[in-house]
Amino acid sequence: MGFEEVRFEKDSDKAIQNKPLQKALVNVTDRFRSARNKASSEVPGWEELRSNVREIKKNTIENLDKYLTLLEENVIKSGGRVHWAKDADEASQIIVNIANERNVKSVVKSKSMATEEIDLNSSFESAGIKVVETDLGEYIIQLAGEHPSHIIAPAIHKTKDDISKLFSEKLGIPHYENPEELTKVAREKLRSEFLNADMGVSGANFAVAETGTIVVVENEGNARLTTTVPKIHVALVGIEKLIPRYEDLSMFLTILARSATGQKSSTYVSFITGPKKPSDIEGPEEFHLVLLDNGRSGVLASEETRESLYCIRCGACLNNCPVYRHVGGHSYGSVYSGPIGAIITPQLMGIDKAAELPFASSLCGACHDVCPVKIDFPKVLLTLRKRIVKSRKLSVKNTKDIIEKLGIKFWRFTVLNNSIYKITNKLLYYLQTPWKESNGKLKSLPYPFSRWTDQRDFPSVAKRTFRDRWKERRGQMG
Amino acid sequence: MSNSREEILHTIRKGLKGASSEETLEERNFVSEAQEIEKLINELQSDLKTQFITELNNVNTTVIEAKNGINIKDSLFNLIKEKELKSFSIWESKFLKELNIKNELKDAGLKLITAKNKNRIATSEIGITEVNYAIADTGTLVLLTNKSQPRSVSLLPPIHLAIVRPENLIRNIRDLFVILKSKLGEGEDITSCMTFITGPSRTADIELNLTLGVHGPKELYVII
Repeated sequence: MGFEEVRFEKDSDKAIQNKPLQKALVNVTDRFRSARNKASSEVPGWEELRSNVREIKKNTIENLDKYLTLLEENVIKSGGRVHWAKDADEASQIIVNIANERNVKSVVKSKSMATEEIDLNSSFESAGIKVVETDLGEYIIQLAGEHPSHIIAPAIHKTKDDISKLFSEKLGIPHYENPEELTKVAREKLRSEFLNADMGVSGANFAVAETGTIVVVENEGNARLTTTVPKIHVALVGIEKLIPRYEDLSMFLTILARSATGQKSSTYVSFITGPKKPSDIEGPEEFHLVLLDNGRSGVLASEETRESLYCIRCGACLNNCPVYRHVGGHSYGSVYSGPIGAIITPQLMGIDKAAELPFASSLCGACHDVCPVKIDFPKVLLTLRKRIVKSRKLSVKNTKDIIEKLGIKFWRFTVLNNSIYKITNKLLYYLQTPWKESNGKLKSLPYPFSRWTDQRDFPSVAKRTFRDRWKERRGQMG
Repeated sequence: MSNSREEILHTIRKGLKGASSEETLEERNFVSEAQEIEKLINELQSDLKTQFITELNNVNTTVIEAKNGINIKDSLFNLIKEKELKSFSIWESKFLKELNIKNELKDAGLKLITAKNKNRIATSEIGITEVNYAIADTGTLVLLTNKSQPRSVSLLPPIHLAIVRPENLIRNIRDLFVILKSKLGEGEDITSCMTFITGPSRTADIELNLTLGVHGPKELYVII
């Protein structure tokens, strides 16, 4: 899907009306959240671990050019090839070219946010190459022609019945009721895809500069199959996925699995260094590493928001975000949803194209509390908001903004003077009567106040000011 | 293409300006650290075994304890009988060769399927491997690929059986990377593929229902 148009207000409205989605969101976020909390509490020195991995990430990002060239050197040394892609189009082109040059007819893919980001599947399809998603969740999404809605659980918005119908419709099989049977069907279908595929495309959770190793973390085994069975393995990796040293992995793997799903270790972790060795009996004959920039290098320029690139894509911020829990992944109009989507999408796709996202947060900071690399989400969000407001100031064409500004000016004027405040308070108290509901709330005000009451109630104006009531109480208490 | 390389590196350098501090990968003496770990682990062996078994039980793995080589083979034959298995794949590693499992299974009438044609391993009913390391605190098997240890034996068959010896046990993932780094430092070549296996293949992609065996083995047996 890459980055679609961001229509947060509209899409989130739709998501909130969607009852099954609301139920699924509560289930998935609750499950992952409590699992993470338990798993992190079992590790002595968890907070220290967070500080350490953050420090490593900070250092890596601040020396990114050096580590990237070191990584390149070591991948080449191990017999692999390295390609650099400055944007989504170039990355897709590189990968499709690799396929075309080798007469590849079918491709299997393991779950990768980066390939979603560049919308690789449609590039394969328009080149006439068959591409199959092999992570069960992604497979379901691909059959349905939809987009992932959670970094870790992409098909969480679909119910068992949805999937049962989908499978019987698309795969021509009977309606299976239980997940076990549905999973078995997928296993059989996908196993034959693996055995017949000419090329495997994966992402990577980490790329180790000093050894040229890419690391893929998963539970199903489809990434192992993708990187083992086909003759050609292509890994698409964002340039921020780097870590310097082999032994750094021990900390990162410890913190990633626990933060993501609450597992002590994911079922499978593959550490791939180059193609198969001449002495190995099996394994891919070619290994290509495609390094993806697509806006990342530009993010480095701001010291205040640079830490957005520390993210290791665990999804903990989604599971703990009160906004994500209600609006789901699709509202963010990008492969990256939740708090990380709100900060990374505007920076990668351009702030004007995703200006709603940094405002889609209550700044409660729950994401900051659980982030394994301690990204200071509230700080980054506020910085981005500032940028957006500033860029708007230069082009005051928005009437909504002008009204809001006047409103705030008026507010400032009244609150700065107690007697004016008192008079205004009285005035508003009587003026509001036609709109006041029996529960004391204002439910639907005329324009421009409707912009508030369309989405939430406004508390009605009290008869007396807080100050007056305070005085009276103090008097009573003597 | 090389243009993009230069462009990306240029943007990075421009963006970082003064930020990139001079940082070189610091030297640690992994060889002596690894020696110390080995000493410590030797003393802890029985504790580690207990912990390892607990963790394996937590991740849907069946644990079989065996006292010696004969015990190992008895357990293996029992499993094969119980599951009525007719074909197998096996690593050609030193310990497994010493046990002579391959020949005994062939003599018992099972068909050996080798990795020479990798797709055929998919038709094998059980994959038998040993492990290079076993991480006690997470119940993780560590397998290194080499010419006698092909990766698909632990991946394609529906059942994976791994044999763990007490000397394979290490405390945690930190120990592992110290040991691996010390070996790399001594000039050992890095493997094309190292695999961590913690329990059988699993998914929760359908309404968060845990289902085993979605792509990799559905059943994992560990003989210690």
